[in-house]
Amino acid sequence: MPALEVLVTDLAFGLLLGCVFAVIAHGLNLIWGVAKIVNVAHGVFIMLGAYGAYFLNLYLGINPLLSAPVDAAIGLAVGVGFYFGFLHRELRGKESIAQQSEMVTLVATFGLALFISNLALRLWTGNFVGIPWSPGSIFVGFLQLPLGALYVAIASVAIIALTHIFLSRTYLGNAIRAYSQDIPATQLMGINPTFVAAVGTALGFSVTMAGGALLSVWLPVGINPGMGALYAPISFVIVVLGGPGKMWGSLVGGISLAVIIDVGQAFVGTSLATAIAFLTLIPILLFRPEGILR
Amino acid sequence: MKIPKLPAIGPTLWGIGVFLLVLGGLAPWIPRFTLTILVNLLIFAALAYSLNFITGLTGYVNFGHVVFMAVGAYTLGYTVGTIRLHPLGGVALGGLVALVLALGLGAVTLRFRGVYFAIASLVTPLAGLNIVLVLPALGGGQGIFLNIGFDPLSWFYTIWAIIAAEVGLTYWITHGRLGYGIRAIKSDEDAAKSLGVNAPRLKLFLFALSGLFAGATGGVYAWTTSGIIPEAAFDLTFSLRMLAMIVIGGMGTLLGPLIGAIAVYLPSRFFLTIFIGTESIIIGLVVILIALFVPGGIVGTLRKYVPELRRILE
Repeated sequence: MPALEVLVTDLAFGLLLGCVFAVIAHGLNLIWGVAKIVNVAHGVFIMLGAYGAYFLNLYLGINPLLSAPVDAAIGLAVGVGFYFGFLHRELRGKESIAQQSEMVTLVATFGLALFISNLALRLWTGNFVGIPWSPGSIFVGFLQLPLGALYVAIASVAIIALTHIFLSRTYLGNAIRAYSQDIPATQLMGINPTFVAAVGTALGFSVTMAGGALLSVWLPVGINPGMGALYAPISFVIVVLGGPGKMWGSLVGGISLAVIIDVGQAFVGTSLATAIAFLTLIPILLFRPEGILR
Repeated sequence: MKIPKLPAIGPTLWGIGVFLLVLGGLAPWIPRFTLTILVNLLIFAALAYSLNFITGLTGYVNFGHVVFMAVGAYTLGYTVGTIRLHPLGGVALGGLVALVLALGLGAVTLRFRGVYFAIASLVTPLAGLNIVLVLPALGGGQGIFLNIGFDPLSWFYTIWAIIAAEVGLTYWITHGRLGYGIRAIKSDEDAAKSLGVNAPRLKLFLFALSGLFAGATGGVYAWTTSGIIPEAAFDLTFSLRMLAMIVIGGMGTLLGPLIGAIAVYLPSRFFLTIFIGTESIIIGLVVILIALFVPGGIVGTLRKYVPELRRILE
């Protein structure tokens, strides 16, 4: 049985890490909720967001927290491109996504992941690069918390809250939610389905890339083009844990996963804790396919 | 007395059969270096055929197929390393262990449809890797090193037999009563169920077959590399390559996996010496284009646009 201090520290770090896990999964959740497809290339866009933060830091010297909005703006454009490149053909004129289209998008986005990650590997090599940014740390009792991680956690929760406000309080946000529930009814209300779906997808990519920038704070040893291969599965598990299409689900799922890993490693070591965290997916899918949240 | 008629078999099966027989007959005279390349190509073809059973025939996209290959490789590594089993026994045992794993895993994950199955399959190799890393019996993070020598001819005939069995089974499944049920599942699972197709059992059968052959092939792979490194054994790139092969060759077809394996593997041999990493960029691009614009792959497209081939190619 590990000491209480160790457990409390692990729990605190798990909560902080969970917030940033939540934001990278939130991007996937938005796309999943709106377009009803899973972007297998999700990890690649997290990686691109992290590299965005790296290059902004390298050339302009700004810290990852400030590069997150820049990444978010780039993500909007990337998302629109992705929608018209990959989803529009499958979604156009459909009332719901067919099984065949689901498979097409799975395989096509898998090709996209292969393409972008290897292109990045060729351009930026496989070496790890890090962003030198450490704003110090604060002490809470015996707990030493890095301020960078704390800022990132606050920014992550703020991003999720902002998307929630956008989706529930604005006309466009409500239109996106309507589209995700019932496409023909949305059209009857005079909403252009293509526009709404494109905006929803773009929003998802925007959050994903901003999340990549925030995640880079947690990786002082560095980022490399292969990092998506780890964070994509993590995002999938989080979305399923929280429930696809549920906006607060990302936060619940992200924190659960990070706490399982961080607290679990004190008991069974990092490897087994990671395995357990991934395998929680299967009982959740079996017994609560709608996610932890109601 | 009625003389039983030999079942008529299609030209594609004849073609693959003759190709395999010629290859098998010539093997002792092929130079060793070429033979090792051929063995690697056949390993990929065998993996592609094994994935074809589940993903090609039923449309369940399996990103975690590599887990069966890793289990087969580890079974061979463990049995050959500790009890000095002959590698052939290791291959057979690897297939069996992977079959059992596939039955267990499939009983749970095949209940999920579409993207949920794909995601569940994606996390299994990651979990598997992290479990193997803490098992000292399997070498932990260092893997297993074997000293079983360099024997390309034995590798060749083993993998040759595996492919022959896979091709035969694929043909048997797609041309029998089972084939109708499986095609019905691929088109619309609910409709298939309401027509009395036992979808769960059929899917589990195919999943188990795909696990069996991937495990046996994983055993051959560990035999050719004389050992296993955990990160390499559970490398998702293997899954991705297999998937790329059947997508490019043509999902669910008899010839597709072989064509796809050749189309993906041979160019990569040449790119390897010119630009490292370029091959995957090109494979990725080709997969995107095929998935979006020519969903039938090479074989499906030929069947669609060349009517003469429709009766021959499958």
